[in-house]
Amino acid sequence: MSKLFDTLRHYLDVTGQEIKIAFMTMIEYPSNIVGWLISNPLQFIMGFAIIKFVVESFGEINGWNYGQLAFLYGLSVISHALSMIFFVQGWFMGWFVIEGDFDRYLTRPLGVMYQFFFTNINIFGITDLIPGVIVFIYGCAKSGVQVSFLFMVQVIIMLIGATLIRGGIYIFLGSTSFHTRSAVDFGQYTQEIMDKTTMYPLSMYPESMQFILTYLIPVGWVSFYPVSSLLGIDNGLSGGMTTAFITLAVGLLVMFLAGAYFNLGLKKYESAGN
Amino acid sequence: MIDVKNLNKDYTVKQKGAGLSGALKGLVTRNTEVVHAVKNLSFHIDEGEIVGFIGPNGAGKSTTIKMMSGILTPTSGSVLIGGEDITKHRKEVVRNIGVVFGQRTQLNWDIRLGETFELLKHIYRIKQTDYDKTLDVMNDILGIKELIDKPVRQMSLGQRVKGDLVASMLHSPKVLFLDEPTIGLDVSSKYSLRTFIKEINKVKKTTIVLTTHDLGDIQELCERLIIINHGVMMEDGNLKEITERIAPYKTLVVEYYDEEAPEHDKCEIIAHEGNVARYRFTKSETTAADIIADLSTQKSLKDISIEEAGIDDIIKIAYGS
Amino acid sequence: MKKYLYIIKTQIIKSMAYEFNVYGNIIMQTIIMITSAYFWRALYTGRSVVDGVDVGSMQIYIIISSVLSVLLITNVERRIGRSVEKGTVATDMMKPISLFGMFLAEDIGSIIALIFQNMLPILLIGSLMIKIPVMADISDLPMFVIAVLESFLINWLIAALFGMTAFTTINNDALIQVKKHLIRLLSGSIIPIWFFPESVSNVLSALPFVYIYQLPLSIYIGRGDRAEMISQMRIQFIWLVILSVLFFYVQRRITRKVMVQGG
Repeated sequence: MSKLFDTLRHYLDVTGQEIKIAFMTMIEYPSNIVGWLISNPLQFIMGFAIIKFVVESFGEINGWNYGQLAFLYGLSVISHALSMIFFVQGWFMGWFVIEGDFDRYLTRPLGVMYQFFFTNINIFGITDLIPGVIVFIYGCAKSGVQVSFLFMVQVIIMLIGATLIRGGIYIFLGSTSFHTRSAVDFGQYTQEIMDKTTMYPLSMYPESMQFILTYLIPVGWVSFYPVSSLLGIDNGLSGGMTTAFITLAVGLLVMFLAGAYFNLGLKKYESAGN
Repeated sequence: MIDVKNLNKDYTVKQKGAGLSGALKGLVTRNTEVVHAVKNLSFHIDEGEIVGFIGPNGAGKSTTIKMMSGILTPTSGSVLIGGEDITKHRKEVVRNIGVVFGQRTQLNWDIRLGETFELLKHIYRIKQTDYDKTLDVMNDILGIKELIDKPVRQMSLGQRVKGDLVASMLHSPKVLFLDEPTIGLDVSSKYSLRTFIKEINKVKKTTIVLTTHDLGDIQELCERLIIINHGVMMEDGNLKEITERIAPYKTLVVEYYDEEAPEHDKCEIIAHEGNVARYRFTKSETTAADIIADLSTQKSLKDISIEEAGIDDIIKIAYGS
Repeated sequence: MKKYLYIIKTQIIKSMAYEFNVYGNIIMQTIIMITSAYFWRALYTGRSVVDGVDVGSMQIYIIISSVLSVLLITNVERRIGRSVEKGTVATDMMKPISLFGMFLAEDIGSIIALIFQNMLPILLIGSLMIKIPVMADISDLPMFVIAVLESFLINWLIAALFGMTAFTTINNDALIQVKKHLIRLLSGSIIPIWFFPESVSNVLSALPFVYIYQLPLSIYIGRGDRAEMISQMRIQFIWLVILSVLFFYVQRRITRKVMVQGG
């Protein structure tokens, strides 16, 4: 037990250093900060405006009114932002595989997956967090939910679960490059699919698709089920902490499976130049 | 210190046709071929040795050194470092090794060198007093403290390699792996690098395994050579012993007063330019004195000298076979 | 001209090399296309026509938008960025071939490869799984083809112009993202702007983005009468001229700057 605690402290200590280095690197290129500060909020503010226009043209979407959709969108963008900070490198794993960048991680006495994500931690992801939080607060007001302490605890647990699900999916997709040895960037496609399935209610899609997105690729747990539970929209889910903990459990499971697939791929890693 | 047993590595390589039709075919058909990069390699390296891996490009030296340092997973066989299997206990074993690959860097490109050192201090959990002491030692040999506040992207290649070497030695590893460490370096950087390798080997008893194409590296550093070609071990032993075995030649260089050079039945003229002829003979068959005696009966000699077989001869022979 | 044809051919071969990318892209694009089709089907539940378009036309819109997106992939913006970052831009410009001509040839080569690798499979999958995308009025076909060619050029010029910002900010990744989002959200590629409030769609109609996706797609599904289409194509052509002039102006200024400073 004390050994586990000691290991955890070691990893936290190194993470602190990695974050420090990420900030120092960021400050080296001030023009980039400005660029991302424009680019990322712009994307989500425009995206959110479009949802408003769609609701104006079509009325409620599958029984979800504008306030509820705003709440869903906000929560989805926040978990997106968190996954951008910690797991975005999964999108580019192919480049790391081809360039032989895993050499360095494999010769250091820490977990390879940990190093891959935390030595490349993406501080710029914070610029995604800003529009997410703004829309979420707006959604809270519009949908008329009671924001209590317990509510916030639920939201935080759900966000951790949602971020892990997204991260797990990126890791899974990225790990295919150990087998294919090609640098594909599915980032844009992944994001487009995630946008469609997490920013609108899943219940609008056919049942077969809902089944896949609930049990096989559990994207439904990123935002749809948690938000349904928080807003008390009936689809057979119990409210309260249960859904929050299911979300977290799904997140941990996806991450665990993705990690296993990653480690399997790592055995096939060929470094560069062979 | 290092035990390599029956090490094998296979790669699956995709076959691609040429041109547009080949590219189109590649989409639907799948021709793969298994390449045996390393075949059944076994050897033992003792603590404190400096071992040079040599062989032509594509011989399997990098693959071997990458398996020994835990980067590649062997297809079969094992690598034990300090008695522990690196594939099975990677995180524990890599604490005892340091790695520098000449063409790439583990330093953080955008920020000052010292930050990478700080990070490594945390990763390897190096005590501040040990860290300071190691850095002092490194400073004595390489003058690293002048570079510590410089961003890595502004460094010359020589400076960067110095930084990488220090980074790999901060946690005082028992084994240091160097893959072509002197590639692309100027003469003075090469010199300080070799001094560094010799010093840490002497002072810290670090076992050093390096691959190189540089004859100077071999001459200066390697007590022991392992020659690999086509993934198979060709030779293993110290430089002199290998020379005796695979290149038991000497070369007699004779200068005449004119361009004509007589033949000799126990040696081969390997070069003849102007008034100078080079006679190569096998040491067990004859002696230089006999040849000189024979030749001087036919023509008068102006000057003579004798050359031992060098590393380049060994390499030529080993690579050629 | 021969040089450029050679680059196109080389690029086709290069693009063919990664089979996994091909299959991966087809799978991802299929998922996106089918999700979008269901998305519109759900929105249209209980409504037959919204803003002059029925659900069937909207399904065709989605399929053709997916197909068109293959033609609108550019790499020029990243190529410029890399050339500046590596510091090879001055020597690249000295080559006996126009730098941007080379980038255009490369992009055309990639697209030709993609027509076989992505576009035709997507069209087939869309026809089988969603709906056979029949054109509303086949006599509009020449207009559609011209609109697509112009939209390709407008898209490429915008990419090249955004790419040239590499000369000012060194690292232009974020600006390339801005461009990507602008085209993704404001061109009608995902959601046509006729669903937006009138004031917003009026503003967007004055910008070049809708002429990349929405104009050719509207012609294909036959939204609006011919007079309306022709007047929109006129604006598309004006944007093509404006962007071309801007492109050549900026290109000349940059070339001069690079030649003076040596990169």
